[in-house]
Amino acid sequence: MVRASGVVKRWGRTTALAGTSLEVGRGVTGLLGANGAGKTTLLGLVLGLERPDEGSLEVLGLDPADAGPRVRERLGYVPEHDALDPDARATDLVRHLAEVHGLPRREAVGRASDALWLVGLGEERQRPVGTMSTGQRQRVKLAAALAHDPALLLLDEPTNGLDPLQRDEMLALVRRIGSELGVDVVLSSHLLEEVERTCDAAVILAAGRVVASGSLVELTRGGGGLEVEVDERPWALAQALAGRGLEAHVEGLRLTIAGTVEAAADAVRDDAATLDIGLRRLQPRTTTLEDVFLAAGAGAGTGTPSPAGTSPPA
Amino acid sequence: MSDARILDRGYRRYSGPRLGTAGAVRSLARHSAERALGLRRSPWAKVLPLLSVVIAYVPAVVFVGVAALLPQRLVQQTGLLPGPADYYRFISAAIVIFVALVGPEVLCTDRRNRMLGMYLASALTRETYLAAKVLAVVPVLALVTLGPPLLLLVGLTLAEAGPRGPVEFLAALGRVLAGGLAVSAAYTAVALAVSSLTDRRALASAGIILVLLVASVVSAVGASGDGNALLLLDVSSIPLELVQRIYGQPGAAPGLSTGAVLAANLAWTVGAGLFVRQRYHGLAVNR
Repeated sequence: MVRASGVVKRWGRTTALAGTSLEVGRGVTGLLGANGAGKTTLLGLVLGLERPDEGSLEVLGLDPADAGPRVRERLGYVPEHDALDPDARATDLVRHLAEVHGLPRREAVGRASDALWLVGLGEERQRPVGTMSTGQRQRVKLAAALAHDPALLLLDEPTNGLDPLQRDEMLALVRRIGSELGVDVVLSSHLLEEVERTCDAAVILAAGRVVASGSLVELTRGGGGLEVEVDERPWALAQALAGRGLEAHVEGLRLTIAGTVEAAADAVRDDAATLDIGLRRLQPRTTTLEDVFLAAGAGAGTGTPSPAGTSPPA
Repeated sequence: MSDARILDRGYRRYSGPRLGTAGAVRSLARHSAERALGLRRSPWAKVLPLLSVVIAYVPAVVFVGVAALLPQRLVQQTGLLPGPADYYRFISAAIVIFVALVGPEVLCTDRRNRMLGMYLASALTRETYLAAKVLAVVPVLALVTLGPPLLLLVGLTLAEAGPRGPVEFLAALGRVLAGGLAVSAAYTAVALAVSSLTDRRALASAGIILVLLVASVVSAVGASGDGNALLLLDVSSIPLELVQRIYGQPGAAPGLSTGAVLAANLAWTVGAGLFVRQRYHGLAVNR
């Protein structure tokens, strides 16, 4: 859907994107990074609103800087900030935005209504947008981005300003759009938890560079090994495992053991039995997106993204 | 027959035709024109545009009534009725108010509520966005710059106080159309140029009125003889001077050639248009 190669974008003396290369495929992809990492700049380039200073960018098989209108009529965009005419009724606004994405009026009228029902505003569709709550306005923006049936939906911090309940509903909606409706989605966020909950894949940006990317399964597969929790004497078990050539990191009653899962599990079982140490938990070692993020050094300099997001960093 | 309707048909993929940039421009022009006239908005939003339009048409209705009711000989002897070229004198205040309402409504509002970002994320570019705005403003302003003289022409013709015969009528119609569109184009360009400087409607409206008033005052104060060159800088009067020339009348500054008046109008219109384009060229919209 999106392919970038060595993209550089500067704003005066500030380099927003410093040789970004990435690929965004089908499904829901999280664009993760701290504030100032270059997410919004990248979305602007994908939309063809700006031209890269260096490198190449391909969206839906086209260069957005040259074929902007043709690319954009197949994209849906939900900007981070409020961007709606408060005087307009929701249905008029969504219909109009579907028309400016190329839909004939008759088709736009029907699809505007459908999109508003989809986001849960069917009963509210005749209300002026200015009388709606923040959560409802966010959903109107989502309906406006969906009504023309985009091939790719770009969501820039779609949960900004929402309370926890509204945030959950919005993320569930995004997940549904990506999975049930078959619309591919790029979800830009600085909240790790949002990406973990909603996305199939992630691209992690830091200081204008991609520091990690891939499916969430690949990214969080970790380095193998085991996580073990014991009743007592973790150091004794670690020492016994060291005798077998297995390196174990001890933290309280927990041990993290490197190596293949099968070999490590057999060794832990045998040594724990020999030493008469009770096992509380034994499972393959997992890596969270936060681990990936920190390991990639993405938190340095611009501030680590929030693990859970009710209070975005300033 | 049942009134039942299916409201929620579920989300469907769309594989029909897309109308591209042309469709987007049409939709935005229509939406902007409706907004400028207060349509699909609260009753309060309709009051001022409606009032300006009514004020612009009242003299035409009165003149047509006079022509229809009074004996034709009396009307001609007393010179009670103005021609379409002179009509603008009666409605210049209504035109200025309408211009000051429409320009900011069409241009400032999108920047104020960030809809500009939504538009530029569609099939529109900055240039086609502005083209749509021009296509919205010109016909809306023509409601007061073209409509009343047109009504006067048709009314006087029907009352047998206007042009005689189809040839004369068509010639007069051509002049009315050319004059109305020239005034509309020049005022559109100026209104959009001033509106491009701020995202606050009230400020832009005040700015437009100020520009038109100051230009008019400077031109009047500096007037010296028939060849008043300062008139070329008076953006409020130069379109009306062109209208006089279109009707073959000497106008307020007979010493100025028609070519100079036409060039000044073009310079104002094109210059203001280029200014707006330049203002929008580097505008950041998605941050």
